[in-house]
Amino acid sequence: MNTKQLHIYRPGIIPMLIIVQAIVLVPLWFYMPLWISLSTIALLIAKYLTYRFQIKIPYWVIVLLVLASLAGVYLQFRTISGREAGIGLISLMYAFKLLEAKNYRDAALILFISFFILVTSFLFSETIWMGLYLMLAMVAILMGIIALNSLHGIQGLKNIGKLSGVALLQALPIMILLFFLFPRLPGPLWAMPSDSEAGTGISDSMNPGDIGALHTFDDIAFRVDFVTKAPSNSQMYWRGLVFSEFDGFTWREGERSPLRQVEQVVSQPEYQYKVQLEPHKNRWIFGLEDVVTPPNGVFLFNDHTWRRPQKVNQRFLYQAQSYKIDYSSYKLSDWQKEQNLKLPDASNEKTKKWAIEQYATVQSAQDFISLILNTIRQQPYRYTLTPEILEQEIIDGFWLGTREGFCEHYSSAFVFIMRAAGIPARVVTGYQGGEYNPYGDYYIVRQSDAHAWTEVWLEGEGWRRVDPTAAIHPSRVDVSLQNQVGARDDWFGEFGKESGLQLPTGLLQKLSLRWDALQSFWNETLMGYDQDAQHDWLSKLGIKHSQWRYLGYALLITILLSGLVFGLWILSKSRNRDTVEISYIRLLNKLKAQGFNIRMNEGPYDISSRLEQESPELYAASKPLFEQYIRLRYQKNYPSKVAIQHFKQSVSAFKL
Amino acid sequence: MVVPKFIRNKFFTWVDSRIPQDGATELRQRNIYILPTRYGWLMLVILILILVASTNYQNNMGFMAGFILLAIGMLSTFYTYRNVRELKLRVLKPEPVFVDQEARFLIQIDNSGEQLRSTIGIGTQKKQVIYFDIPAKGKAMEYIPIKAVRRGVLLPKRFVCTSIYPFGIFQVWSWFKTQQPCLVYPKPIACPEILHMSSIGEEEGVVSQKGTEDFYALREYQTGDPIKQLMWKAYARERGLLTKEFEDKVGEHSLLTWQSVAHYEKELAISYLTDALLQAERAQQFYGLELPHKKINKGSGDQHLHHCLEALALMP
Repeated sequence: MNTKQLHIYRPGIIPMLIIVQAIVLVPLWFYMPLWISLSTIALLIAKYLTYRFQIKIPYWVIVLLVLASLAGVYLQFRTISGREAGIGLISLMYAFKLLEAKNYRDAALILFISFFILVTSFLFSETIWMGLYLMLAMVAILMGIIALNSLHGIQGLKNIGKLSGVALLQALPIMILLFFLFPRLPGPLWAMPSDSEAGTGISDSMNPGDIGALHTFDDIAFRVDFVTKAPSNSQMYWRGLVFSEFDGFTWREGERSPLRQVEQVVSQPEYQYKVQLEPHKNRWIFGLEDVVTPPNGVFLFNDHTWRRPQKVNQRFLYQAQSYKIDYSSYKLSDWQKEQNLKLPDASNEKTKKWAIEQYATVQSAQDFISLILNTIRQQPYRYTLTPEILEQEIIDGFWLGTREGFCEHYSSAFVFIMRAAGIPARVVTGYQGGEYNPYGDYYIVRQSDAHAWTEVWLEGEGWRRVDPTAAIHPSRVDVSLQNQVGARDDWFGEFGKESGLQLPTGLLQKLSLRWDALQSFWNETLMGYDQDAQHDWLSKLGIKHSQWRYLGYALLITILLSGLVFGLWILSKSRNRDTVEISYIRLLNKLKAQGFNIRMNEGPYDISSRLEQESPELYAASKPLFEQYIRLRYQKNYPSKVAIQHFKQSVSAFKL
Repeated sequence: MVVPKFIRNKFFTWVDSRIPQDGATELRQRNIYILPTRYGWLMLVILILILVASTNYQNNMGFMAGFILLAIGMLSTFYTYRNVRELKLRVLKPEPVFVDQEARFLIQIDNSGEQLRSTIGIGTQKKQVIYFDIPAKGKAMEYIPIKAVRRGVLLPKRFVCTSIYPFGIFQVWSWFKTQQPCLVYPKPIACPEILHMSSIGEEEGVVSQKGTEDFYALREYQTGDPIKQLMWKAYARERGLLTKEFEDKVGEHSLLTWQSVAHYEKELAISYLTDALLQAERAQQFYGLELPHKKINKGSGDQHLHHCLEALALMP
């Protein structure tokens, strides 16, 4: 192919390349290290300036810059392979390529690599917005490619845009078929590189003292779809981690082991639910209490938490059940008892002393729990997200001093007091509650629903969940929090009262729930489509064996059929539909068949008059036809359909 | 890519059998060929990369992008094909040229379709084409220049009409032929010696011995004297029609013979004669040409010059 005439110095081609690159890089700017994002922006600006003012950057400068950015990427990530480093590197090289682009080849390379760069940004986000952005960016890249391959460059931009848009629309049905038919593989092809990014949501330790202000985010942690019934909001405790070790400042997970054998499940599952867990880059996953049988590929630990072997780097979909289990016959082993009673020496002695004194006044562990909860309720304990920072003796400082804090303060103090009194106890973190979405019939659990509560071991009953935060008197909750919409209110409802489902009322709320329902569909049906889902619908079609083969067939048929359909469609669009012309050509062909030679420069009148001289017979037969043709073509009015039809029939009937 | 010669020959024999032999070629399924360009292959590699990465990261958005790309790749074959289908190509008769000049084959392309055909290329081979547009329901004219290297007849084996529009990932092309060769005159080279023109076969009414270069004398008008050589000023002064006589440096005679250059190497000799013919025509002389196989009587004018040059060009 010859591309000399399609060089990139035609007006508008370089700015077009800059715009395409910017469109493709925009989503990555939010996820790449700042200096890489800024470098790519600077490179794009530099390209524009060199183009605008016809500056030539010496080659060695570009080489130096490339080497410097390579070193930069290595220093940033300590590697140049791996996902994050790879994306950073490829984005930089992509921008550098444009800076030194000088011919068709470079431009074509940039445009086609744009498709790949575009895809890398989906590794960070797969929202509906990104889906729309994908379409926009696709159109932009296609427009760039067309402009590059057209003599007119970016002239007739509207046309180019139309052509790209139409191409994209025509590609969509094929894409949808391929999307569902293309055989999916279960896991990663190669080991997932570890992420340098920190996880979001709840963390693997808890330091109640050093948080001056708990920032709550409305980001979605996960969505839950209950198959049958759902528990009431106040009973929705999503268990994540269990902390049983305390060093005076920080709560951590203690020693724990995976359970080989799951406890005997006697009853039917109480709740069945499906979860769409947003990636949080940690290994734990959440389940409704009591957590027993883990979903596929997840382990159950002896503190009744679930753990995945890999981090949740992509949205993770799982199904689970919750059971009511009777733990009355269970015994706590000696080391478990020790683990859940252990307190650091010479730490928070005042609270310890207070707990022992109080315990002496009651008959049983159960009474002691009630006593402490009542203390919280009756004494001026306040709930706030901006408590005073405590530097040492944090339990003493909170319980006997400031008396203000949030769930972490209350749960750690509560467990501390229980342990001081000799009752095994531990802290559980996870999420509490969830917002019901009536438009999609599921619950949204947000980061702001993160919660910490406690479990107390009662002989003969097992672990009992106690939520000391819920004991705070509603009047002592920060006003700003009371007005918050969402599940947090539920804690402070009447102590023990079941708070019913409250449907949101505001228009904005309705819209946002509808939007979330759409997102849930997007996440579950489209973005969550995987091998299991694929095998699922194949099974429903009755194909249970050699599914791969059937997929292969289907794929092949799709490609062939869509090729055929679109081919015919596209070709038929450009077919000559001028009936008069077609009939006229037929007439000429019939004359040719009679041995009459027709020259290229002859019009109907010339042919007719030559016929008159050379072949009177043919002339007589064809004269009315030529007259009709001349009338149809040269009369003032647009010819009527009848006249055209008549001409067509006459030509068909023409014979000698 | 190196293809063994016998395969290439076989291939083009097959191709030629599919090219319509008459003047106009209409591009249709039968004679349109399509293959991915190197950027088509590049796109395939990128597509595979996207699908592998999407499988590894279980990224369905990546799959979507990949499949859109695949679908566009598939559709691109039709888009590109649509761009050239039903074009009618006709090669017009080229003007004769001299060796080392460019023979220009004028191609007329008719587009009977409703759509503009953008960036259509024609040339002698796919790598050497000139791009242009053909408006909807319209036609375009474009030259294919070919440098004439040898005297005689220049008949390119085949021309190509090609397009990579709109995405540059597929190239369609079609070959077409012409039956109308371009005549290539020999290259004119000035002869270092004065060519002696023979006056054998002199005919009546032809100024033969006199040249046109330098003024020599005045004499009475004789029928057939070139009109340019008349002394109009004298005629205006009513001194009768006088003819200015010139002395020609080339020689006295205006019949250019092969004999006079036969002692040179053949092609050089032909070039010398060519130059002499051009000079004679420029000087508005009457001149003839005598070659071993052909004799052209004296005359002048473009048509005459063409006959003479043609005889030289086609000299075996």
